[in-house]
Amino acid sequence: MAPSAHPLPYTDIKPVGAADFYFAINATFRFVLNKSGIEGLHRYWTDLGARYFAPVSARWSAGGLPAVADYWRAFFAVEPRSDVEVSADDASVTVNIRVCPAIAHLHKGGREIVPCYCQHCYFIGEAMAAPAGLTIRMEGGNGSCQQRFLRRDTTPAPQDLARIKEASC
Amino acid sequence: MLGCYDFCGHYEWTFEWMRQQGGEPLVRAYWDEAIRRDSQRHAAALIAAKGIEGMKEYWGHTLADEGAGYHCTTTNAVYRIDMFACPSKGFLTRNGLRQYHDYCDHCMGWIGPMLKECGWVVDHEHNHCGQCWWELRRNDDPTPPSKPGELGGEHDVRHRADWLPPHGTMDVYERANDPDDKTTRKTG
Repeated sequence: MAPSAHPLPYTDIKPVGAADFYFAINATFRFVLNKSGIEGLHRYWTDLGARYFAPVSARWSAGGLPAVADYWRAFFAVEPRSDVEVSADDASVTVNIRVCPAIAHLHKGGREIVPCYCQHCYFIGEAMAAPAGLTIRMEGGNGSCQQRFLRRDTTPAPQDLARIKEASC
Repeated sequence: MLGCYDFCGHYEWTFEWMRQQGGEPLVRAYWDEAIRRDSQRHAAALIAAKGIEGMKEYWGHTLADEGAGYHCTTTNAVYRIDMFACPSKGFLTRNGLRQYHDYCDHCMGWIGPMLKECGWVVDHEHNHCGQCWWELRRNDDPTPPSKPGELGGEHDVRHRADWLPPHGTMDVYERANDPDDKTTRKTG
C-alpha cells in the first residue's frame, strides 16, 4: 500500500480501540511464555517490533526524533482511557505514561497479568528503534512508566530490566 | 507498547508467527488456550449461564465496541448473526495486511470449541471478504440452517450482491465446533 501521511502506519475507521483486546494481548504473552519460555517471549516481542512495526521504524528513520514524538502522540490518542504526555528535545523523546490503558483495563477486568507484561514495551520498542539508529530506556511499570527514546550514538547505559516493574493484579 | 487500536493487525501477524514456530497445531492451540480459555473466558461464562441471552449480552457488547456492521436475529431456539462489515477483516483489508493464509478461521478457532463446551453447535459461512452469517443452536436441536431470508429477513447477508465474490472461496460449516471441520467451495 502507498505510505500515508498519518503518523500511524495502520489506521481504522473507529475512533479508539476496543479495550477488551488488552485481554487477548495479555493472554497471548502468557501462551507464548508457557510454550516457549521467557526467551521465546522475548523473541516474539523482538520479531513483532522488527517486522510488524517495520513501517514505524522506516518513518522514524526518515523523520528522526520528531517522527517518534508524532507517533506516540497519535498512538496514545487512540488507546482508550490513556493519560500520557509526550515531550521532545534535540536529544530525546520522553513518553510519560501516567495511566497505562492496558494495565488499567486488565486491573478493571480482574485479569491475572503476566508478571513481565511491561517488558514488552522495552523489547518491542527497542526492535522498532534500532533500525532508525535509536534506542529506548524505560523505568517503572504496572500502570505508569517513563519511556525515553534517544540516539544510539549517545551510548546510554544498557537497559536494566530490573528497573521495569513486574505487573500484578 | 502493543495497542488495542490496531489489535487485529498484530493478532493476524501472530497467527503466522505461531505457524512458523509450531505449525498449524500451535495456531489451533493458541486460539483454544489463549483466546477461548483465557482472553474470552467471560464469553463461555455468559453463554453457559444464560444461553441465548448470554450471547446477546456478549456479542452485543463486543461487536458494538469493535465497530462491526451486523444484524442479530434471535428466537428462543437460535441466535443468528449476519455480518456485512467484519471490523477485523475490514481493518486488515484496508491496511493491506495479510500474513496468515486464512484469518477468518480464528473465529471458529475459539468460538466453535467455546460453544461446544456450552452445548451448542454452529452453522456458519464466510466469504473471506468481511461478510459471514452464523446460526447457533443447542446440540440436541436437529433443525437445519435457515434458507436465505427465512430467519434474517432483509438483513440476511446472503441477499447481498457482493456475498459471492467472483473467483473467491466460501468456507462452510455445518453443525460444527472445530475450525477445520469445514468445506471450501469456489465462487464465480
